[in-house]
Amino acid sequence: MSFAWTSKLALAAGLAILPATAWAQSVNISYLTHWSPETVALLEAAAKDYAKTNPDVSVTVRAVPFGDLLTTLRSQGGGSDGPTIGGIYDLWLPELARDKLVAPAPDAVASEVKVSWPAGITSAASVGGKLYGIPNEIDVYALNYNKALFKQAGIAAPPKTWDEFKDAAKKLTNKEAGQQGFGMINSWAAGVVHPFASLLVSNGGELVKDGKPVLDSQQAAQTFQLYEDLIKSGASVPAMATADANTTGPFLDNFVSGKTGMIIMANWWESALKTGMGDKFADIATAPIPVGPSGGKPHSISYSWMTVVNANAGAAEQKAAWEFLAWLNNPKSGKNGASAMSDILMSMGILPSRLSDIEAHKDKLGSEFLSGYVSVLADAKPFPVVPGGQEFSESLQQTLEALQYGQVSAKDAQATAQADATSILERAAK
Amino acid sequence: MIQRYRASAGIMLTPAVTLIGIFILLPMMLTVWLSFQDWSTQTPFSSASFVGLDNFREIFGASSVGRDFKGALTNTAIYTALSVILILPLSVAFGLMVYQHDVAGGTALRTVLFSTYMVPMIAVALAWSKLYSPSEGPLNQMLGLIGIGPQPFLSSPRSALVSIVLLNVWQQVGYFTVLAIAGLTQIPGSLYEAAKLDGANRFEQFRFITLPLMRRTLLFSAVIAIINAVQVFEPVALITQGGPVGSTNVLTYHIRRVGIERAQGGLGSAMAVMLMLSLIVVVCALFALANRKDQE
Repeated sequence: MSFAWTSKLALAAGLAILPATAWAQSVNISYLTHWSPETVALLEAAAKDYAKTNPDVSVTVRAVPFGDLLTTLRSQGGGSDGPTIGGIYDLWLPELARDKLVAPAPDAVASEVKVSWPAGITSAASVGGKLYGIPNEIDVYALNYNKALFKQAGIAAPPKTWDEFKDAAKKLTNKEAGQQGFGMINSWAAGVVHPFASLLVSNGGELVKDGKPVLDSQQAAQTFQLYEDLIKSGASVPAMATADANTTGPFLDNFVSGKTGMIIMANWWESALKTGMGDKFADIATAPIPVGPSGGKPHSISYSWMTVVNANAGAAEQKAAWEFLAWLNNPKSGKNGASAMSDILMSMGILPSRLSDIEAHKDKLGSEFLSGYVSVLADAKPFPVVPGGQEFSESLQQTLEALQYGQVSAKDAQATAQADATSILERAAK
Repeated sequence: MIQRYRASAGIMLTPAVTLIGIFILLPMMLTVWLSFQDWSTQTPFSSASFVGLDNFREIFGASSVGRDFKGALTNTAIYTALSVILILPLSVAFGLMVYQHDVAGGTALRTVLFSTYMVPMIAVALAWSKLYSPSEGPLNQMLGLIGIGPQPFLSSPRSALVSIVLLNVWQQVGYFTVLAIAGLTQIPGSLYEAAKLDGANRFEQFRFITLPLMRRTLLFSAVIAIINAVQVFEPVALITQGGPVGSTNVLTYHIRRVGIERAQGGLGSAMAVMLMLSLIVVVCALFALANRKDQE
């Protein structure tokens, strides 16, 4: 065979193999989140950084409203074309793991997580002793109050007990000015249930104990009664409490526009407050949850988020996804010893959960707003992660909303909440 | 000859019948079958286990599952009834206005009316959620100008569903106006001329000519309006999430929550079957009523 023919054949073979080789090497993975466009842009920038050292992996970020996140994961996660990576709320994990929608973490990732995150956070990302996700954020509830409104009402310090809390709420209420003392939330399950649960645990109670609901306790009765008292006194106006699918809406508008004196909310809404209030954000301060008559010290509710990998994605996609997540959460991927993930989270005022990230962001976590959250973290109780947890949350939401709108009494609300929770958790445990 | 005709008719019908069978009848039968099963939507059909009427007992029971379903069914019925009651008379009224050739701006009005139907529901929902905003909403600001205090609209369980109905009416009325105009064009002008000669005034012409001769059009409009209303989903998902206190939790949104979010496929299918049966009963009753009127 002449040299010319040999060259032609080699060229043809090379051209034929080239696309197949390129196809075999490049891996496309997608990342589903509920973050805002600004935060998605930060994640995309991190993915670009990753691509510099891993040109064969491309990461596409897709965002949906929080209200659609679980549905999207459930409806699209069953196939290999669904999102490869998903950011999820820890309450959803037991059922997503049961339905085999999320993959267990590889041993190397699991070992790294176990030594680098607090044990409680690692346990919330595990089911049956198996780690399913890399934890990234922790959210905790605290009392947010408007210092300017407190000054106007002649209140010197944030309330420490429920009596002080009710008194402050009453003083902050000004019906003529359309101002309420304490802002509740409705039309959003976590927004309704978490503040209630924070008051309950600060009153020495619990939502669930040993897998069984304990809303029939005296502490729970007092918490339902507190809600009824606040509504009946006019210190809390349910019509000012509505949330929309993006977890914003009138409840947020009323707080940022100075129509709500106090609210119980998580740290992650710092960015929403800053955006809505501008310079007036300086008026907002944070305090521990007031202690109820049956409580000993302030407690609140915490919950965590994590990133999981689609169990139905291809082996190459799963491998690439875990590698990308390991890099994203690694202390070398961000600035000054922080992970790239924690830099993204801190841009929203969200507390990172990796121990090295907490250390790396020590200065920012000491800000007036966030330090209030960091200080209550040690005494926070994790929201119960049980099968049926989401349905339980939605059911309690309905009961609390009925109480907010005066459709049921505190006593009836307590009885309904306990009965519903018992039936839901029993069914889910089967 | 007849046999050849039948054979060719059969051949021509086969593609359509096959498609209808695969894409309509099969899913419907599957939903009915699943409504008698305990099944998670994340598992294969083979994992479903027969539970008889348990799903139906549960959705009509006293537990939170039953309460939520019955609430959603009632909300859907109220939403549908209000939508039809408002849309049909408005569409006829607008149709009569637009159909008058001598009215200035008739074409412009027709264009404006129909344009609302072309706006995607997501845009409508977002715009109306701002219009209804309790603190900064233009609707409350306008009400304030005439001395009416701020209304809660979407923030109160008493008014949230009605507020969603108004949004739906605003969007859909243009489409039904076009249907009404189509019905009006079918009425011979000679009937009105004869009625005028007999001394009938405008109201009598409307009462004894327009309305009776538009009955078929109105029946069609009512059926379409009912089917559209029963399928309401976007404004609830985008604005209210079914709240407050489940006052806007309509069946399609609730079935999505139960069947997909909670993966309770058997319960979700039982709810879908009840929705389908309710729709069939209502539409059949409407046709039966119309036939009875025709026979009279």
